[in-house]
Amino acid sequence: MIKITDEAWKVMVAHAEGKFPNECCGAMIGRIADDSKNVTAAVPMENAYAGEQGARYELRPEDLLQADRSARAAGLDLIGIFHSHPDCDAYFSKTDLENSCPWYSFVVLSVKGGRFDHAASFLPNADQTVAEKEELIWPKS
Amino acid sequence: MAKILIPTPLRQFAGKQDSVDLTGSTVGEVLTSLTTQFPDLRKQIFNDEGKLRSFVNVYLNDEDIRYLKKDATPVASTDTLSIVPSIAGGAVGVAEPPAALSNDEILRYSRHLIMPEVGMDGQLKLKNAKVLMVGAGGLGAPLGMYLAAAGVGRIGIVDFDVVDFTNLQRQVIHGTKDVGKKKLDSAAETMLDINPYVKIDKHETALTSANALDIIAGYDMVVDGTDNFPTRYLVNDACVILKKPNVYGSIFRFEGQATVFAYPGGPCYRCLYPEPPPPGLVPSCAEGGVLGILPGIIGLVQATEAVKLILGTGEPLVGRLMLYDALAMRFRELKLRRNPECPVCGDHPTVTKLIDYDQFCGIPRKEPVAVSTASETEIDPLAVKSMQDRGEKFQLVDVREPHEYQICSIPGAVLIPLGDLPKRVNELDPDVEIVAHCKMGGRSAKACDLLRQAGFRRVKNMTGGILAWSDKVDPRVPKY
Repeated sequence: MIKITDEAWKVMVAHAEGKFPNECCGAMIGRIADDSKNVTAAVPMENAYAGEQGARYELRPEDLLQADRSARAAGLDLIGIFHSHPDCDAYFSKTDLENSCPWYSFVVLSVKGGRFDHAASFLPNADQTVAEKEELIWPKS
Repeated sequence: MAKILIPTPLRQFAGKQDSVDLTGSTVGEVLTSLTTQFPDLRKQIFNDEGKLRSFVNVYLNDEDIRYLKKDATPVASTDTLSIVPSIAGGAVGVAEPPAALSNDEILRYSRHLIMPEVGMDGQLKLKNAKVLMVGAGGLGAPLGMYLAAAGVGRIGIVDFDVVDFTNLQRQVIHGTKDVGKKKLDSAAETMLDINPYVKIDKHETALTSANALDIIAGYDMVVDGTDNFPTRYLVNDACVILKKPNVYGSIFRFEGQATVFAYPGGPCYRCLYPEPPPPGLVPSCAEGGVLGILPGIIGLVQATEAVKLILGTGEPLVGRLMLYDALAMRFRELKLRRNPECPVCGDHPTVTKLIDYDQFCGIPRKEPVAVSTASETEIDPLAVKSMQDRGEKFQLVDVREPHEYQICSIPGAVLIPLGDLPKRVNELDPDVEIVAHCKMGGRSAKACDLLRQAGFRRVKNMTGGILAWSDKVDPRVPKY
């Protein structure tokens, strides 16, 4: 299960809506306790995909390295990655799966017409052939 | 000895530690001691062949080891290694790669399939590969034919030109029947005739800073068959930005060169040529000529490198500039290194998006010019003709070479090749207006500058050269 605090969620939704109609991306930071992941902060990142960004995103490894360092300095953990699907449901596409990594939670935010619609979280398996859906709890307004 | 930081999800395999101090004098040794101490980490980081998994990047402090010395990068006890995944994605799924060849394809590719270096795996890699050819001219012709024959599944072509008779001496993908046709259509027709199993994307446009990233992003690599500096820098920068290899080739008269740029860790075009030459200094093939067979040799070196990169076999032409001299029939090699100061692929790049490459190469923007109006420095061929017809006194100077003069000339023109002009200016009368011409107007523009510097006041350049004369004044003058 992955739970996102109010504060982190606001940042994620604002980033996803702000980048619409392009995909956005970023990292999620917090604490892991047994089976529960608690995201307390979100770090918006620049979509570094060099082509049309309406249906693609790419994270710069340097940005992720930086986020990991800040998390460590604050005694927190890098828990996962988030990105948006503009005018598209929050599923884990083949492109998402093949370019993911098996270590993190991947939260997808569906943004329709510029407004957040729904979200889901996924855990890719070791070979990145399937992604299992993970229970996602976000603050419902 | 060095410290390695363990990403949160991997700590369960590393005794729950967030960092580990390990022995080793290189990155490779440190990673080996890590996975020896924690064997469960091995399959998280390495694949079955013992190489880092495709999404795993290793950073030494702030630098990706791919851009240092990879596994052999030395580490000191003060260094920190980090494991950082590459992550991307997108809502759009990519098409399912074909899992098998049809029986017809197996027959077609049998000479590839029986070589273990290619085999079924290699042929499927070729089928799933996407290669962009920039230009369907001299280099593009052999490239397109052989890449199609080899079974490269998707081949994009960028070209907006039309086949003309002067192309046929070397652009063997086009035939006499294709003159007047779009090069894109003519090339695609030949390629699909050779191999109907390939898909061809036609990009009928000039590659520009506005469209290059979008076009190139859809392909695995670019094969550059361009003949001008702005496009060459554009292709280079776009490939570096998109991290796509750029299989480069160029030709002039009897000599050619080829190499692979923008390969991880390797140099780019700007490492070799940081600055473009001044405009007009290096003649194009249209001005300087080219042995028709030469692009065949160089284009096929590029095709070979493209196929090797797809197969992941052999030693790619990275960090080596291959030079070919047809007259001496000799291949030589120069070593190239990535320049850490390179503005595009260096350690601290200053060019991170595409720029205006015409401006970078010193080429003035083309302003629409009113036809037939003689300005202070230029004159249209039609105006020159009416000066002749009116019997006006002026000196028409042909600054081309004697062997060009033999092909065709304008009646009344005096031949003084550009190179001889400085020592022959005294043959010209400073009191009589001078009109200079060459083949297309480039060399005669230089001749005009030279004459003005030598004190001649009334000097004009005939725009478009003898080719424009043939178009506008006298079609009996052959074009070459």
